[in-house]
Amino acid sequence: MATTTATITLSSTDLLSDELALSTTATLTAAGTSTGVVGTSGLGRKKLASGHAQYVLFDGDQYANGAHKLYLKNASTTAAEFFTIEINSEQMGKLYAGDWCFFPWEANADTNDIKIDPSADNMVLEYMLFIDE
Amino acid sequence: MATTTAAVTLTSDLLSDNMSVSASTTCMKAGTTADGLDQMEYGYLDLPTGDEYDLIATTPTATKASKLYLKNHSTDETYYIAITQNTQAIGRLYGGDWMFIPADFHDSDGDIAITANGGTNKICYALFHEGTALLAT
Repeated sequence: MATTTATITLSSTDLLSDELALSTTATLTAAGTSTGVVGTSGLGRKKLASGHAQYVLFDGDQYANGAHKLYLKNASTTAAEFFTIEINSEQMGKLYAGDWCFFPWEANADTNDIKIDPSADNMVLEYMLFIDE
Repeated sequence: MATTTAAVTLTSDLLSDNMSVSASTTCMKAGTTADGLDQMEYGYLDLPTGDEYDLIATTPTATKASKLYLKNHSTDETYYIAITQNTQAIGRLYGGDWMFIPADFHDSDGDIAITANGGTNKICYALFHEGTALLAT
């Protein structure tokens, strides 16, 4: 069985009076089982050219309902540049330069597309989808 | 300036070549490299089945760059938390899973809502933000 893990570390020495040091690892498995996910899009890198607009990064009707996990990173180095992330038509948040995110994606409806909207031309996005097939 | 770092490492042997992807970011206020997120709330709680609850209501406002961490500490792999935002399904966090997302709470309906399935789920969460409105007494 393939083993895929995701580890997050959140740390700060000066946000609180006590040091913040949180680290946890998840093994990515199919929904409701201990069987590892067996699919991935692989690590991708996409430069969104001029005339920036909203793009469908992953189309909900191409994936079965499952415990997919999505990694996104804004590779921009310009602080004010961000990607707006939407699922279907609901805005989740803005991924600013250098920021990354990782979240489960259910794809429980054909309309539950992952959409990204760059705030500027020629921004670069890194992404990887782990697929519960 | 408060400095909070969020790092991720993804590893897998799914592919012919072993994969290891790492990224790290300093959690900054929206659109700046000069000032870090300087406020947080942190909690650990039992989430019973039966109702949908707002984990985070929409007090941080749009244009800001809040970051939300959420982990399902349940040890039963069949238990999960359904995550929705303004009734839109995002995904399911099964026992042991975590997520880290930007959350700009762009309007009054943009709450992050959670529903336990399978049994009482244990969750841990942290919201890093740059300001929330306290409710007046």
